Amino acid sequence: MSLKDAMPVEKGRLSWFSPNWVLLLLSTIALGAFFGLETASVAPNRIVSGTGYLVFSALGWQGALLGMVLILALIGFSCIAECQEYRDAYKAMLVIVMALLALMPFALMVATSRLVDSDLPQARLGIGAGFWVTLFVLLLALVELRTRLALARIWSWSLLLPIGLLWWLCLSLWLEPLALMREYHSRSEQFSEAFRQHLELVGTAVGVSLMLGMGLALLMRRYPRSQKAAFAILNFLQTIPSLALFGLLLAPLAWLAANLPLAASLGISGIGWAPALVALVAYSLLPMVRNTFIALEEVSPAVIDAAYGMGMDTRQVFLQVRLPLALPVMLEGVRITTVQAIGLTTVAALIGAGGFGTFVFQGLGQAAMDMVLLGALPILLMASVADALLGAVSDFLRPGGAK
Amino acid sequence: MIELSHVTKRFGDEMAVDDVSFKVAKGEFCALVGTSGCGKSTTLRMINRLLEHSEGEILLDGQPIRDFDAVQLRRRIGYVIQSTGLFPHWTVARNIGLVPRLLKWPSTKVHSRVEQLMHLLGLPVGEFAHKFPHQLSGGQAQRVGVARALAADPDILLMDEPFGALDPITREKLQEELRALQSRLHKTIVFVTHDIDEALQLANHLVVMRAGRVVQQGTPLELLHHPADKFVESMLGGVERGLKQAGLTRVADHMLPLSPTLPAQSRVPSSMSLRQALSVMLRDHTERLTVVDPHDMPVGELSMRKLIREPKADQGHDREH
Repeated sequence: MSLKDAMPVEKGRLSWFSPNWVLLLLSTIALGAFFGLETASVAPNRIVSGTGYLVFSALGWQGALLGMVLILALIGFSCIAECQEYRDAYKAMLVIVMALLALMPFALMVATSRLVDSDLPQARLGIGAGFWVTLFVLLLALVELRTRLALARIWSWSLLLPIGLLWWLCLSLWLEPLALMREYHSRSEQFSEAFRQHLELVGTAVGVSLMLGMGLALLMRRYPRSQKAAFAILNFLQTIPSLALFGLLLAPLAWLAANLPLAASLGISGIGWAPALVALVAYSLLPMVRNTFIALEEVSPAVIDAAYGMGMDTRQVFLQVRLPLALPVMLEGVRITTVQAIGLTTVAALIGAGGFGTFVFQGLGQAAMDMVLLGALPILLMASVADALLGAVSDFLRPGGAK
Repeated sequence: MIELSHVTKRFGDEMAVDDVSFKVAKGEFCALVGTSGCGKSTTLRMINRLLEHSEGEILLDGQPIRDFDAVQLRRRIGYVIQSTGLFPHWTVARNIGLVPRLLKWPSTKVHSRVEQLMHLLGLPVGEFAHKFPHQLSGGQAQRVGVARALAADPDILLMDEPFGALDPITREKLQEELRALQSRLHKTIVFVTHDIDEALQLANHLVVMRAGRVVQQGTPLELLHHPADKFVESMLGGVERGLKQAGLTRVADHMLPLSPTLPAQSRVPSSMSLRQALSVMLRDHTERLTVVDPHDMPVGELSMRKLIREPKADQGHDREH
């Protein structure tokens, strides 16, 4: 008789029911959203608001059935996920989630062919709330599955990459009537211009604040008495609302442009990229300086003592010991700053600095939600990609792969 | 040879080290002992100029250490600290090769030296060379720390409570290894510890410090026989001094020829310390022991009665003599 047989059996309790509550909740929400909310809406042109369609009319009964089966399978697997006998439940769920994500652009294609009248050249398909919620919930489920399966960062990326490619392929080749794509096609040049401006602003702001932040952190280490004041100023800068800071910069920069020919020839003026850049750098300084300073400061004193004791000179201690050990935490600062700057640059559109914010604010002004999305989605994507890339670099630089 | 004469260190108004003088001859193992905050670590760190002394003179082979460039000086002196101070972002091999690389040895020479040292300290090259410090146990990390200090074959080794953070069993093992290492390498060692047993076991010259001053110095047996004051006496274990003293002598030194009477049942090897032999007597309720050689052949006997009657002056010899 094995030990297991000797254990008392709990009567009246379902032995297989040991769910992962997070995934159960998420997949139930997905099911609700899939059937309860509009999958898509169709408008004959840009001005008229669209008519919404539920899943049966958008995807037909076959599509609805396929989606239902897959989501029900998710619910089923999440009920037994923590059960000892079904260890592969998480893997199965990963496969299903990936399949659902891969099927979603095709669902849009089905909806397009069913709902959009090909005789109306301006007719467009709007993505409905049901679709968005399902997509969002599936991505959350993916995060949970990644943690449960302890997938390395590189793995989850290599899984997401083909799906991203598939989406891109479907969007650019077959989803012409999608409202988002219609918005894009009517201003594709503006889009790449906005992308360039956004990247430039973020890149320059992060670059400049990295230099300044490093310099400030080093100065603060050299003159410890300045630390309190410096952090107070940086904290204060962080509390000014971004719009107010743009406004505050307007006057001095305009004066500079008017009185200094060099400044004017560089393109500095009260509005445009100059105040945006100054404001972005001002906001980026605190996380940058704080992380750099703490990173350099927190290197174990025993290691530094040993480094000097072994006969390293000051330069060698800094370059070979202190800096490399501080690098992962410093990069963490770069990561926070970059993600923050990508978001803040959106607001910079208000003072004429360009970037994806242009679409967001124009769209808001014209009550054209698809145009807002055309600005907001790339910002979201940029932020996640920057976050993931810099996080991976920081992981890679950790001493000896130590976590 | 290291010589400190009237060395003083002040931090602001506070006197951390006050008029300290001692000499460590070449190949000697000197332990600085004292309670925490007595200035022993400060004294040690002045020798490799991690701290500059305020007054007095520190001589290295007769030359004042201020004549040397501080960085060059440190490369000539091995340094081991309690928390190992290994570089967490470097492999074991790279950590050990640090000083040779600072001295610009050719890389093949560094490589073979690292392997040689890993053998010396019982760290299999294949298993450990590419590990990172966080993958090592406390004892292994400290072995790497010692290997790193020995890498450029310095004449002098400074050790600041190197075994302080280890569990008792690992500590004892590493103490044993250090003693074996020292009997082969004959380095000049200055060793800081608050553990008097460690100091008595390892050193042949003890410097007892208190509140920045030297209270007493001498060989372990000198200190055990004639502690200068109540502080040194309590430091040396008070009434347990007798046992500590016994711990420093071998059974062989007190052995009597085999008597014609029936040999005692309990046997002890002649290489055992007298302290352990006394413990065997207590355990076996006997006052006589048979002393045996490594082949378990009786070579003499040990008698409690005779031991007590031994004249005090003859009581053993310093093991190192």
